[in-house]
Amino acid sequence: MPVLASVIDVFTRGSDRPVRRLVAYYLFLGLVAFGVALVFPRLIELLAGKGLEGMPGGEKALQDGLTGGGSAASSVFGPGGLGDIAISTLVILIGTLLLMLPVSWVYMSARSVQGHSQSVVQTLIILPLVVAGIIIIVQNSLALAFSLAGVVGAVRFRTNLKDTRDLVFVFLSIAVGFAAGVQSIAVGALLSMFFNFVLILTWRYDYGRNLLTPTASSQWTGPLQSLASETGQHDVPDRDLILSLTPENADVLAHRFGRVSEALGSKKKKPRFDSVLTVATDEVTRAQDAVQKVLDSNAKRSKLDEVIVNTGKPSVLYYLVKLKKSVTRDEFLTEVQSEAGGLITSADLEIGERIREEDTSKA
Amino acid sequence: MRTWGAAALFIGVTAVTFGCSDNTRGGALQLKALGRTRERELAARLAKADKPDKKSDESKPVAVWIMPPELREISGLALTADGRVLAHDDEVAKIYVIDPKRGIMLKQFTLGTGMRADFESITEAGSDIYMLASNGVLYQFQEGADGSGVPYSANDLHLGKECEFESMVYQADSNWLVMPCKNARDKTLEHNLVIYRWKIGGTADNRLSMVSVPFAQLVGNNKWKSLHPSDITIDPATGNFVMISSHENALIEMTRNFGLVRAEKLPPGHNQPEGVAITKDGILMISDEATRKPADISLYRWHPTQPTDTIQ
Repeated sequence: MPVLASVIDVFTRGSDRPVRRLVAYYLFLGLVAFGVALVFPRLIELLAGKGLEGMPGGEKALQDGLTGGGSAASSVFGPGGLGDIAISTLVILIGTLLLMLPVSWVYMSARSVQGHSQSVVQTLIILPLVVAGIIIIVQNSLALAFSLAGVVGAVRFRTNLKDTRDLVFVFLSIAVGFAAGVQSIAVGALLSMFFNFVLILTWRYDYGRNLLTPTASSQWTGPLQSLASETGQHDVPDRDLILSLTPENADVLAHRFGRVSEALGSKKKKPRFDSVLTVATDEVTRAQDAVQKVLDSNAKRSKLDEVIVNTGKPSVLYYLVKLKKSVTRDEFLTEVQSEAGGLITSADLEIGERIREEDTSKA
Repeated sequence: MRTWGAAALFIGVTAVTFGCSDNTRGGALQLKALGRTRERELAARLAKADKPDKKSDESKPVAVWIMPPELREISGLALTADGRVLAHDDEVAKIYVIDPKRGIMLKQFTLGTGMRADFESITEAGSDIYMLASNGVLYQFQEGADGSGVPYSANDLHLGKECEFESMVYQADSNWLVMPCKNARDKTLEHNLVIYRWKIGGTADNRLSMVSVPFAQLVGNNKWKSLHPSDITIDPATGNFVMISSHENALIEMTRNFGLVRAEKLPPGHNQPEGVAITKDGILMISDEATRKPADISLYRWHPTQPTDTIQ
């Protein structure tokens, strides 16, 4: 997926707005399909709804019933020899996969942390492949269709989906699988595109929202959040926050935002801190002194951000840190352990993306 | 070494790209070559059938063309003046044009948008094509381009209560469409083959006529008690009618006046024969609907008899 992400970045100039990225992806997919169709014109048949229409054009060789030569016209697989079947099946499966990827991205972006289900995401990718395969096998054979019904009837499974919207995603994956299976990838592509854009627009305008119920943005998270802004200029949906927060919560949030803002520094400057040190300890004061010693010698700058005192379990110290360039994460944590080993139960340093990238390039 | 490797890779990729590219011209050339090969092979098999030896089995077809899945319910067959075969689906008004000697599906077209009815037979009369439904509705149209929907006119013969139709042929010298009944409803004619004739361009007075022939005169030495014609054609060499019956698995040749020339069983292997046609150069074609095997058209060498009588 990093390859696809970087290709999309080229199209979108690195924009992380979902609509732009989706448009870029489908544009890229369309260009690839166009290129493939130029080199292999017959593959257009697979994208042009031949299966639905049942009216292939042009001359076609019939199978010789005595010698079996020529282009086969099997009653099971439709026109085409073994090679044709293999190629068309491969194209169908790859096409299905490429069409379902953006659907899974939208699902992952749109579902709330609580409602997110990895099994549904994987189902969205795998189910249409299976459906397409079944349709390819069953096509034009009533006997096979009945056999399949018998086999599927024997394999019972029941899954309760927590959210009806998950069901819609599953339905879509079946529909795309069907479309691909009947060699109408173009229909599948339109389904996938329309579904994703309609879903995003529904989210964007909070369609059908009842003011008394939690807002969509309180249930749906991720990159789609930015779309909730009325003006499109704010990254955080103000109106949703106002409607969903109590005054006390708003105060706490404002305090946190203030702290984050201070930590990040002013605009157009590099962040003042780039990592968070988390230390769990039962002896807050002594551990604080020991950790501070290490920070003084290894960090360019550091700041104790928050102390959460727990009863019955270790308290947690959060430091905002900017390490010296010569100090690596492992070296730093080793020194923390050696300096305050007896006082702390655990220590971890979460490094920001930029530092991680630099580390990787150094390696 | 690296340069050679890159060159080999480039040549390989180029070869695969051009070799695998399935452009339209390449496909047409391949099809043409396949058609020529098949034509030669068929000519050789026909020549062998003309000079049978002890080992040869005349009941075996000289060629069998398997129909595509969409034509699994192939019904009638008809020959065009230039030797192509018209075949149609049983339920949808879709006509398939086939080159019988090369085994190539040339094109398909529909009547209008492809309406549904119980289509049973097809025949060509001059520049017009007629298709008959089992209830006696006659559809008239002309050949269309590949993938097109052609305009048509429908003419109800009002014979649906008298007869269930399944076959029709155009008799050029009399300008009649000859339409035997598969099942005649008239009890007084239950032991007869009832044949309706509809004159193209005739007046209301002489347009429609009916002939009945006792089954006993048509079955010959066979034990068939009745006949249920599936399709009828005319042998271009003699002008005789050649009729097949799926129910009795029979092939019957009749004179123009419906006198028996031969009545014999169809060659083995025909599970549901629905169409028959004979070419000018003596090839008998029988189409079978899909049953346990896909639909097909079988080609046999046809040995015509001498013409026996003249038209009445």
